Amino acid sequence: MNLTWRRRGLVLLCGLAPASLLAQTPARTTAGRVDSSDGQLYAPAYVQERAPSTARDDEAVVKDIEHKIRCTCGCNLDVFTCRTTDFNCTTSPAMHRLVLARLDSGMTETQVLAAFVAQYGVSVLMQPPKRGFDWVAYVMPFVGLGVGIGLLGLAMRRLVGRQAEPVAADGPALANADPDAVERLKHELEKFES
Amino acid sequence: MTDIANIALWLTLLIGVWGSVMCFVGGIKHLPDLAASGERALYVVWGLLAVASAGLLHALLTHDFTLEYVAAYTSRNLPLWYTWSAFYAGQKGSLLFWSIVVATFGSAAMISNRGKYRDLTPYVAGTVLVVVTFFVSVMVFAANPFQRLGFTPADGNGLNPQLQNPGMTIHPPMLYLGYTSITIPFAFAVGALISGKLDTGWLHAIRKWTILSWLFLSAGIVLGMWWAYVELGWGGYWAWDPVENASFLPWLTMTAFLHSVMIQEKRGMLKRWNMSLVVASFLLSIFGTFITRSGVISSVHSFAQSGVGYFFLIFLVFAAVSSITLLVYRWPQLEAESKLESMVSREAAFLFNNLILIVIAFSVLWGTLFPILSELVQGTKVTVGPPFFNQVNVPLGLLLLLLTGIGPLIAWRHASTGNLKRQFLWPVAMLLLTATALTLVRMSDGWAIGAFALGAFVVATVVQEFVRGTGARMRLHQESVPLAFVRLVGRNRRRYGGYVVHLGIVMLFAGFAGLAFKSDTEATLKPGQSVEVRSPYGHVFRLTLDGVSQYEQLNRFVTAATLEVSRDGVPLGLMRSEKRQHLNSLGQTTFEPSTEVAIRSDIREDLYVVYAGSVQGTEESVFRITLNPLVWWVWYGGMVLVVGGLISMWPGGGGPTAASRRRAEPAGYVARVTA
Repeated sequence: MNLTWRRRGLVLLCGLAPASLLAQTPARTTAGRVDSSDGQLYAPAYVQERAPSTARDDEAVVKDIEHKIRCTCGCNLDVFTCRTTDFNCTTSPAMHRLVLARLDSGMTETQVLAAFVAQYGVSVLMQPPKRGFDWVAYVMPFVGLGVGIGLLGLAMRRLVGRQAEPVAADGPALANADPDAVERLKHELEKFES
Repeated sequence: MTDIANIALWLTLLIGVWGSVMCFVGGIKHLPDLAASGERALYVVWGLLAVASAGLLHALLTHDFTLEYVAAYTSRNLPLWYTWSAFYAGQKGSLLFWSIVVATFGSAAMISNRGKYRDLTPYVAGTVLVVVTFFVSVMVFAANPFQRLGFTPADGNGLNPQLQNPGMTIHPPMLYLGYTSITIPFAFAVGALISGKLDTGWLHAIRKWTILSWLFLSAGIVLGMWWAYVELGWGGYWAWDPVENASFLPWLTMTAFLHSVMIQEKRGMLKRWNMSLVVASFLLSIFGTFITRSGVISSVHSFAQSGVGYFFLIFLVFAAVSSITLLVYRWPQLEAESKLESMVSREAAFLFNNLILIVIAFSVLWGTLFPILSELVQGTKVTVGPPFFNQVNVPLGLLLLLLTGIGPLIAWRHASTGNLKRQFLWPVAMLLLTATALTLVRMSDGWAIGAFALGAFVVATVVQEFVRGTGARMRLHQESVPLAFVRLVGRNRRRYGGYVVHLGIVMLFAGFAGLAFKSDTEATLKPGQSVEVRSPYGHVFRLTLDGVSQYEQLNRFVTAATLEVSRDGVPLGLMRSEKRQHLNSLGQTTFEPSTEVAIRSDIREDLYVVYAGSVQGTEESVFRITLNPLVWWVWYGGMVLVVGGLISMWPGGGGPTAASRRRAEPAGYVARVTA
């Protein structure tokens, strides 16, 4: 890296320590920083180059589509999250431009998604489509719940024995008891069982 | 030092094999000397692993770049704290870290139970040794951290910038501690199954270990979420990534176990179920390791792909087959000692709670593995991302939240109608009141309304339990409110610690519900220009770009964008988001530039600003601004959860219950009311 710049950085770093003591003051400038009068960064190579965002990037329909399609760079993120997080990725910005172009061509959201599936295959969708075998993905957890409830019901039928006497129930024996005494009994039982 | 450490690793392998064989043979053949010798081997293995670990740490701290591992994960200018964390940052080092932690926990378990559970301890030591030996064999044969390069580079690659974060120094060790400590309950379960000592004794031995393991997993998961949130810059904390799911799975089964074990302790029921949960938790922890390290499922968190995945797959199959065989062999002896007296009882509520936890675990596992299944069946791989997991798990999660409230309200054994009315009145009123209020203020998301209303229900149950318990103590012992409260919690820390955990869970759910109202905005600003974003609460945040500065700091070159922020016209101060280009000691760039997020957090919402980059190398900058409601509740909910867990396991209040101790000598009891 540029030696002059490194020296300059060291000097600026030395300035950071005393400046941090003044951190409580609402200073508008940051100690150690390099400001440029012409708005050009001193070392632009150390920061990602970005195209200016437009109002279209924030449109709900764009975000909605991009949350439903996966960036194909292998990051496992959806296009919106990837392009606004991984600023080194070149795939998600390209897919974003494709979304905008397809919307500009008059496609609906469904058509845009279908076009991406046609282009990249079904794995481009962030969740399996609800059709054919892929329905199994959605159904199985609830089938599991149903089977679980069934098994639990069967197990409970086996586990539930005949109740010999209503040990903790407010049965007739306690119906006429003094409420304080009942409270004490409950408390004692609770202590015993805890 | 490195050579000694490498030799120690090989000796660990030999002594581990020998010790585990001695433990099992000594236990099965009833040869105490042989078993004792095997048990002592565990301490020797610990000592040897300590030497190996010291060797790796020494190499890291002295920048011994002749070692491939040191050169791959550190550089001369890496701060000391992160140099230490490189110990577990890579595949090879983390295997050594895992081994030493399992050996430490195993040794601690043996020492803390010295003289007790003599029928079980040979198998406990043997099982721990098998696990440790497996990890050491993976290192020795496939991923040796002491492998040398054929040359000595002038400097190392340095640590991935995203790992250079305080959260990353705590989160992985916590998760490792959680994963590894599951080995101890599993080892006792194996001991009980082999020895046939299936009373509640082994449960007493593992009580604190299970809570400890659950605590580490909980803390590790929440810290991981925090790290992802503050470091990765995507504005979220949970992406349902396979590796995240892998850590969540054993947490779910451990949570189920912590509930159902109470039924076994009190009533002698669910022995098979509890044994199965302990075994499942261990297998899932190994499965998680397999997922993380094999590359079989693509994940952003995975270690580099290598051959170690096959080792884990073989070990997973071995552990599953052997433990399930043992379970089947002892199945008839795991018969329940008593019957469930009523479907309307706390036992039944806990069973439903277990069911939901296991179904959630199943759905997470199902979603994680479905891409593989889909490829096998259809020949095409599908993506199973957050939309799927949210769709399936949100209703299940709310059902679980409902049961979190219902469980404590129902009496053990049998709940009468009067009991139910008395217990449910206020919590149900709170639920209805909250749901009505949120509907009236036109909250737009039905799931969020459900989460908040059920959260209110659970909070009401917990408050009611504390109020009634404190009141009962005040009446019975004439104690003041603070004294009665403190003694109430102190007398049964497990129960009331559990209630505090429930409060933590409610806070977490409140935070998750806040995600329904998250919003993102992209903006491009020149110095002096502003952008306004409106929060779900109706506040208007105004962000004005102050400027962009560049400077060197530690081992990086920083580009910082500073913004002035105000809310509804009231200045809030400055926020600064950075781009960091890391450099090695030669001034060469390492890795791509990384992002440091600016976050302004309060109890209602987070303002989350990411400096995305520069337009044509100028101060004109692109930002992503995210408004994240209620994220604060996730972090503090995690803390409350951990505090509750600590209360539960704090010494003195977490011993076996009276009912559990009675399991050894079953007998009825008589409660008599005296006037």
